[in-house]
Amino acid sequence: MSSPMETDTQLPNGNSAGATAITPPSKLGKLADCLKLEHQFLRVPFEHYKKTIRANHRAVEKEVSAVISGVSDAADSDLSRDDAVIQLNSLVSRLQGLKRKLEEGSRTEHLQAQKCRARLDHLDSAEVDNLSEWNGIRLKRILVDYMLRMSYYDTALKLAQSSNIQDLVDVDVFHEAKKVIDALQKKEVGPALAWCAENKSKLKKSKSKFEFQLRLQEFIELVRAENNMQAISYARKYLAPWGATHMKELQRVMATLAFRSNTECATYKVLFEAKQWDYLVDQFKQEFCRLYGMTLEPLLNIYLQAGLSALKTPFCYEDDCTKEDPLSQEGFRKLAQPLPYSKQHHSKLVCYISKELMDTENPPLVLPNGYVYSTKALEDMAKQNHGKITCPRTGLVCDYTDVVKAFIS
Amino acid sequence: MVNKNNKSPKFKQKEIGIWPLLTFNFCTKTCQKCPPINHHSVFRPLHSSSAIFWWLSILSTTITLRSLSNLEMELNSIKDAFDRVTKKQKLSSSKSQEIIEQIGQEIEQALSRIQSGNDSASPSDHKLILNELKAKLKEIAPLSQLEGTQKDLNIALSKYPKLLDKSFNPDISKAYRNIDFDIHTVNQIIASHFYRQGQFDLGDCFVDECNEPEAAEKKAPFLEMFQILEAMKSRNLEPALNWATNNHEQLSQNGSDIELKLHRLQFVEILQNKGRDEALKYARAFLAPFAAKHLAEIQKLMACLLWAGRLDSSPYAELLSSIHWDKLAEEFTRQFCNLIGQSYESPLSVTIAAGVQGLPTLLKLMNVMTGKKQEWQSMKQLPVPVDLDREFQFHSIFVCPVSRDQASEENPPMLLSCGHVLCKQSITKLSKNNITRPFKCPYCPSEVEAGQCRQLYL
Repeated sequence: MSSPMETDTQLPNGNSAGATAITPPSKLGKLADCLKLEHQFLRVPFEHYKKTIRANHRAVEKEVSAVISGVSDAADSDLSRDDAVIQLNSLVSRLQGLKRKLEEGSRTEHLQAQKCRARLDHLDSAEVDNLSEWNGIRLKRILVDYMLRMSYYDTALKLAQSSNIQDLVDVDVFHEAKKVIDALQKKEVGPALAWCAENKSKLKKSKSKFEFQLRLQEFIELVRAENNMQAISYARKYLAPWGATHMKELQRVMATLAFRSNTECATYKVLFEAKQWDYLVDQFKQEFCRLYGMTLEPLLNIYLQAGLSALKTPFCYEDDCTKEDPLSQEGFRKLAQPLPYSKQHHSKLVCYISKELMDTENPPLVLPNGYVYSTKALEDMAKQNHGKITCPRTGLVCDYTDVVKAFIS
Repeated sequence: MVNKNNKSPKFKQKEIGIWPLLTFNFCTKTCQKCPPINHHSVFRPLHSSSAIFWWLSILSTTITLRSLSNLEMELNSIKDAFDRVTKKQKLSSSKSQEIIEQIGQEIEQALSRIQSGNDSASPSDHKLILNELKAKLKEIAPLSQLEGTQKDLNIALSKYPKLLDKSFNPDISKAYRNIDFDIHTVNQIIASHFYRQGQFDLGDCFVDECNEPEAAEKKAPFLEMFQILEAMKSRNLEPALNWATNNHEQLSQNGSDIELKLHRLQFVEILQNKGRDEALKYARAFLAPFAAKHLAEIQKLMACLLWAGRLDSSPYAELLSSIHWDKLAEEFTRQFCNLIGQSYESPLSVTIAAGVQGLPTLLKLMNVMTGKKQEWQSMKQLPVPVDLDREFQFHSIFVCPVSRDQASEENPPMLLSCGHVLCKQSITKLSKNNITRPFKCPYCPSEVEAGQCRQLYL
């Protein structure tokens, strides 16, 4: 094995040219690999479904226990007969209300379950034959995801509707986010705090400090308005519980009482800036995505980055880069600029004339001036020009018989 | 023998250390990914890290071959798991309904008893009934009943996402580089994607919503293109012909004969709809200028005149096929995009498709690189090749089979006299920098000289 000679001789010329053929790993394998990327696609509607189930269940529990305690209250207190009737009647109508609510809840649950199933079916429907259509839908899904995350709701909705892929995108999930984001942009923390309360246990599990940040901002707003006494009592009530884990931040914010909103001290000045609200919006988006099992970055950015890295070669930045290469476009070049170049372990030759990839069936030929073209392209040219070949890049004219084979592995 | 002398002792060890292992496991005839053990390993020591990556790429191929059937099975088991969730959910919800019903009935019974026991009953009767009701409800224990079904449901609910985590890549953002991805650029790319797909409403809506008015620049040329295509769909070639005439120079420079193809189609249309005289007039005016280059084609068209009115039963019936219209629309799109400096395929679709193909490899790489996140963020070139389908190959890339280096201007590919190709530096090494000293081609038994090697232009 240490002597290369022995094994070399076993390789006839044809074989080494055969290595030019890029044998793609089976198409099925690739398809399976790309389906495995669709975690979020199944996870998000499921989380939504789960949330509805839990909320409905909580409502039932709460109402039922309220009715039970209503009964025992009535039994324990000394009610007159008429009062007892009134009390029981109100409990009956309460139960009826709960029944209606439960029915409505089941309908929502059912719709959401259908959505989950539609996505499973959609993944199942991907076959090698319908791949281009399936990929088209995937691009649309990725675009809708991007728009929802960027709060371009109108376009997201329009794209989803016009392509009839409502079940495959998460417009409804983001509806919930929209309310909170809109409020935060108007500098209102109410809906965000309500959202935190609603998802308390999950946020706690992920050690989120989003609620704390909201509270800090509210405190800052009180200081800005010079409601110092109110600010202090607010801090006692809402900030103090976070002291154990976030003392540093708490201290810093408390110091604004001394510095006030017109301070020039950089450490505290920044706390009063309007961009803190933008920061809260970003923070909320992150928490929201985490909660639903979404990637923190838009899918579009993730796929774009991977694609740009895979496509990026030093040749992409040359002037004669083919227009078909996305990296010939200014925007794509700009995005790819900080990304790594791709790596090749095997030669890949693209014919300058036919733009086809050369392989064993269409091996490379060399003109006397060293320029390489595919056999098919040169054969066609020779047929049309009575056996003469004109090099499209140098203008050299030669006979087809002058070209030689090159073995490129 | 020359080759052997090139090796450093240190390398010899590595070669023995890594390659026999690989060979033993994977270098069977069916494994196409694994390189023949002889050449490159001899000339260049493999860095230990690249050996790991090689391992990885070999491993991944063997895994993917089996993975689809696995995934299909997994999808089925995921569906089953989901069915379990919905089943439990239905059970739980009907249980809730049942319990509410039961409580309601008990209360209503008590209510009617209180009301019916109107006058004859003693004043404390209703109290008794209330206490009975309380005891009854306690006996039913609705909350613990609810808890029971909820417990089952909770188990199903927590199992399902775990199954998803196991069957899918739970975090595809692992290979994401945390860099500033300029939002304006991304938005402009999306806007022009919509415009080039002919989705002008969507494009406008998007440009409006993301507030990138300059992205609308791309609209006008594509609007023109789709107007022409629309006209072609209703068999009106006028706008397309106008466009071709206006861009005559550039089109012929690009070697496109789309102008002739448009005129040919128009000629056949006229011949079919307006008769021989009109067609002849048209041919004289518009086809004649192409005679020099496309004589055979024009002769064929002229022969069609003989079958005016019954072209469908002529040897030229094929010219009437609607395929010509579809093909021409496609070629027109290609040429139009080319003239406005755009690609035929949407660059966004191409990049995303490449990303989908490349991402699995990058994610596997990240699994190997755990703890080296920093390295990943600053890497100038990916450490592993990302295999993309041939439609994503836009450039000729030569990788020297000996040194595994990518060819460059300083290190171009050279053709040996036996027909094998190596890059310049490898030849210099093999020939010990002596242009007349013969050396053995690493791929065949031929003896070659560096001086006779020719540079290749790919």
